[in-house]
Amino acid sequence: MDERELIARVRAGDPSAERTLYDAHVDRVYRVAYRLAGDDELAREFTQETFIRAFARLDGFRGESALSTWLHSIAMSVALNGLRKMKRFRRREADLEEADAVATTRRESEPDLKRRLAHAIDELPEGYRTVFLLHDVEGYTHEEIAAALDVETGTSKAQLSRARAKLRETLADFAGEWTR
Amino acid sequence: MTDDRFEDELERAAQDYHRPPETPREEIWARITAERARRREARQAILFRPWVRWSLAAAAVLTLGVGIGRLTVPHGTADTGAAIGGRTGSDFAYRVAATQYLTRTEALLTDFRAEARTPQGGRPDAQFAAQARDLLVTTRLMLSSPAAKDQRLKSLLEDLEVMLAQIAQLAADRNGHDVEFINQGLDQRSVLLRLRAASPAPGTSARGAL
Repeated sequence: MDERELIARVRAGDPSAERTLYDAHVDRVYRVAYRLAGDDELAREFTQETFIRAFARLDGFRGESALSTWLHSIAMSVALNGLRKMKRFRRREADLEEADAVATTRRESEPDLKRRLAHAIDELPEGYRTVFLLHDVEGYTHEEIAAALDVETGTSKAQLSRARAKLRETLADFAGEWTR
Repeated sequence: MTDDRFEDELERAAQDYHRPPETPREEIWARITAERARRREARQAILFRPWVRWSLAAAAVLTLGVGIGRLTVPHGTADTGAAIGGRTGSDFAYRVAATQYLTRTEALLTDFRAEARTPQGGRPDAQFAAQARDLLVTTRLMLSSPAAKDQRLKSLLEDLEVMLAQIAQLAADRNGHDVEFINQGLDQRSVLLRLRAASPAPGTSARGAL
C-alpha cells in the first residue's frame, strides 16, 4: 500500500490503516522523543500525543511534504513544548559563561567522559541541543531538521556548528583522551 | 586534535546520550487507543455542560438579534446608539444577548488577568482558551451588527477581538511571555475600563454603549 492510499484509508476511519501508519513511524518518533527527554515515560507520552494529534489532523495534511516530515514536525512540537511545560529544561538558555562555570565545578566530581558529555549536551541552548541530537546522534539531514523544526536549512547548519563549538570548548580537556 | 577528528569522536560518544531502549510499540498503541476514546467521551460530555449550552443559546439569540437589528435599523442612521438602544420590541433580544456578551467577556478577562498574576500562574488554564474562542465568534457577530456603527463600541470590539484571539491561541502553545503580552495589551488599551463603561450597570436601565 503506498502512502497516499494509506492516508486515504486512515481518513476514511480504517483502524487497520491507522495501525499500519503507526507501525511505520513509531520507532523514529519514539527514538527522537527519548533522545530529547531522556526518560521512558516522557518519551511514551510524547509519542502517544504525536500520533493522537496526527490522526486528528490528518484531514489537514495536504501532501506538500512527506508524511514522515509532517509527522516529525508534530513530534518535535509536542516534545519541545512538553519539555518546556515541565520546566525541566528551564536553564537551557543559560549563557555560555554560566554553562562553563557549572561544567568546570563538576569536572573533578564527574571525571567520566560520558557523564561530562551528557552534562554538556544538557547545558546546550534548546535549539543547539535539538539540532545536535537530530543530526549527529539520530542521523537526520539538515533538510529533514529544517522541515521538522520549521526553520531554514541554514539555521540548522548554523546551530549544529555552534553546538559542536560549544561542546568542543566545554570538553577541551578531554580532547587529549580521544587522541590516545 | 583536528575539527574533523573531534566531531567524529563527539558523534561516537554522543550515541550513548539518552540511548533509547526498544520501542514499546504495543504499550504506546494501547495508550493511544484509550486516550482517543477518553477524549471522544470528554468532547461529548462538554457539549452537555451548562455554560456550553448557555453559550450556544446566547450565540443563537445574538445571531437572531443581529438579523433583526439589520432589518429594523434605518439605512443611513447616524445615531445608531438610539437605534440600537431604542425602546422598540424588535431589538430586545439583541440587547439582552449583547449585554450578556459584554458581561461574560469582562468576567473572562478579569479572571484571566487574576489567574496570570497568581504566584504559580502565568499559564492560565486551557478552559480560558475555549471560552475565548466562543466569545470570539460572538465578537465578530457584534462587529457585523449595527452596534459597530458606534465608533466607541466598534473600537472596543476590535480590541476585544484581538485579545480574545490571543487567549484562544494559548491552549496550543502557551508560555509566560504570551500571557504577559496579553496582559500588557489589556492594560495599555484600558480594555477592562472601556468594557465596564460599555456594559449597562446591573439593575439599572442605563445603557452604556448599548
